[in-house]
Amino acid sequence: MIKVENLVKQYGDFRAVDDLSFTVEKGEILGFLGPNGAGKSTTMNMITGYNSATEGNVTINGFNIYDEPEKAKRCIGYLPEIPPVYPDMRVREYLSFCTELKEIPKKDRAAEVERVMELLHVKHMQNKLIKHLSKGYRQRVGLAQALVGNPEVLILDEPTVGLDPMQITWMRGLIRSLGKEHTIILSSHILFEVNAVCDRVLIINHGKKLVIDTPENIIRTLGGTSGVRLVVRAEEEDFRMAVGSLPNISRCEKLSEDVGEGLTAYAVYSSDGAEIRDRLFALCAARGFCLFELGAIQKTLEDVFIAMTGEEGSTI
Amino acid sequence: MKAIYKKELRSYFTSFLGYLFVAFLLIFVSIFQYLYNLRGEYANFALAVNGTATFFLLLVPMLTMRILAEEKRQRTDQLIFTAPVSVTRIVLGKYLALVTVFGIACLFVCFYPLILHNYGATNYAVAYTTILAFFLLGCTYMAIGMFISALTESQVFAAVVTFIVILFTLMIDMLVAMLPTGHLLALGVLIGLALIISVITYVMMKSKIVTGAFAVISVGGLIIAYLINEQWFDGSLAKVFGWLSVQSRFSLFRFGIVDISSYVYYLSMIFLFVFLTVQAIKKRRWEA
Repeated sequence: MIKVENLVKQYGDFRAVDDLSFTVEKGEILGFLGPNGAGKSTTMNMITGYNSATEGNVTINGFNIYDEPEKAKRCIGYLPEIPPVYPDMRVREYLSFCTELKEIPKKDRAAEVERVMELLHVKHMQNKLIKHLSKGYRQRVGLAQALVGNPEVLILDEPTVGLDPMQITWMRGLIRSLGKEHTIILSSHILFEVNAVCDRVLIINHGKKLVIDTPENIIRTLGGTSGVRLVVRAEEEDFRMAVGSLPNISRCEKLSEDVGEGLTAYAVYSSDGAEIRDRLFALCAARGFCLFELGAIQKTLEDVFIAMTGEEGSTI
Repeated sequence: MKAIYKKELRSYFTSFLGYLFVAFLLIFVSIFQYLYNLRGEYANFALAVNGTATFFLLLVPMLTMRILAEEKRQRTDQLIFTAPVSVTRIVLGKYLALVTVFGIACLFVCFYPLILHNYGATNYAVAYTTILAFFLLGCTYMAIGMFISALTESQVFAAVVTFIVILFTLMIDMLVAMLPTGHLLALGVLIGLALIISVITYVMMKSKIVTGAFAVISVGGLIIAYLINEQWFDGSLAKVFGWLSVQSRFSLFRFGIVDISSYVYYLSMIFLFVFLTVQAIKKRRWEA
C-alpha cells in the first residue's frame, strides 16, 4: 500500500509538485497521468526515496520512506524513466548484482535471477553486454531489475516508452498480470495506455492533482454530452431535416470518413446527454433510411484531459 | 555494501583501468628505484616512493574520476540510491574498492626493497614505514578524488579538478614560504578565507542566516583577537596552510622520522572526505 500525504517539491521559486495526496491500495494499478513536465517523475523519485520532499510524507506498507528508508525501500521495485543499467555489464551479471544489492539471501539469488529473466523473456540475451541491447531489451532488463526480490510495490515510470507496438502490447499484458499481486503506480503521457491497464487514474498538471478516479467515472462525470455515430444511406438534406425534427438534438455533423459507396457517416449529439439511439433507429426505420451502423461515440481520456487542462498539443 | 564493493572492483579489472593503474604505479616506482637506488646508489628505498608520490597527480584522478560521476551520468544512481542500502554504506563500498585497487599496487611495491638486498644493506624499517605512509597518502587523495567525483556528472571535470587540488597540495609549502609574515596581512588573508568559506557554505546550504552568522562570528572573532593581541597572528598563515599540506607530512618519512601524528592526520583526512562525500550525495537529493 502506498500513501502520499501533502507532498511538495520546491526548486527555488518553482513548485514542481504542489500539495499532492493520494493512496494506492494493495493489488491496485494506479495510472499517473500528466503532460511532460507535470511533475510525474519528480513525484516518483520522491516516492521511491531517490529524492527528498520539501514537505509531506510518503508511507510504503506502513514504513515512512524518510524515517525508515531501508525497510520502505525493501518493498519497492523502481523502473525510472531511463532504465538504470550498466552498459558494460552482461545481463545476467547485472541482475545478479541487483539481487545482491537488494539483499536477497545468497542461496536464493541464482533462482531469483532465473525467475526474472524468464518473466521478461531476456534469458536468451543473458550473456550479452547491455550496451549491445536494443532499447526494448534494455527496458525489459530495467523492469527485470525492478522485479528482483518480488517487491510488493512497483513504481514504473513510462515503462512502454521506446518500445515497438508488439512489445507495448506484451508489456501491458505483463503489467496487468503483475497488478493482481502487486501495488503498482504507472506513469504515462499516453492516455490510451492508462485507460487500458489501470484501475484508477490520477491526473496532474503543474504539480497539482486535477482528479483521481476510475477511467470510466472520469469519462462519465467530465465527458460532457455524449454522441452517437451512425452510417446511413440517405440524401444528406433529407437526413438532416429528419434529425432536426427530433426533440433534444443539439447538433448533427457529417463525418469526413469514407464508409463506402453511397453511404455517409454522421455524428449526432443530444443536448441533455439522454439516450437517443432508440429514437434515431425508429426515425431511420420510419423514413426508410437504410441504417448500416449505429453506436455511441466513446469519450476518451484524451478529450477529458484536454477539457481539463486546456492544453491541447502538450498531451501527446 | 559488499555488492557495491564487488561491482566496483570487478569493473576496475574488466575495464583495464585497474590493471593500467597498477602498471603505471609500478612503472613509476621502478623508474625512481632505478634512478635513486641503482643508478644513484642511495641505499634508501624511501626516496623512490617519495618520487612516485608526485605522480598521484595523474594516478588518482584516473581511478577516482568515474566512481560517482559515472553513476550519475548513466542514471544508475537511481538504482543504487533506491536500493535498501544507506548512502554511507554505498560510499564506503566504493571507497574500499578504490583502496583495494591501490592496496594491490602497494603490495607489489612491498617487494621492491627486497631487490636492494642484492646490493648491500638497506634500512627496511624506513622503507616499510614510508610505504605505509605512501599508502595512507594515496588513500587520502582517493577520498578527496571521490568527493570531487560526487559533485559532478562529468568525468573530465572530476579529473581536472582532482588534478588541480592535488597540484595545490604539492605546491602549498612553496606558496606558504612565499607569503609575507606581517600580522595585519595575516589578518587580512584569514578574513578572506573566512569569507570564502562563507560563500561556499552559502552555495551548499542556501541559508542566508547560517552563512551570515558564520561570516559575522568568524570575521568579528578574528578582528577582536587582533585587537587584543597582535602576536597571536605570528606565523598563523603558515599554520593554517600547514593543515592543508597533505604532501609535506609524507616527505619526512624518507629521513626515517616515523611521525605517528602524520598517520593520524591522514586517517582523519580520509574520514573527513568520506563523510563529505556522503553529505554531498545527501544534499543533492534535497536539491534534485
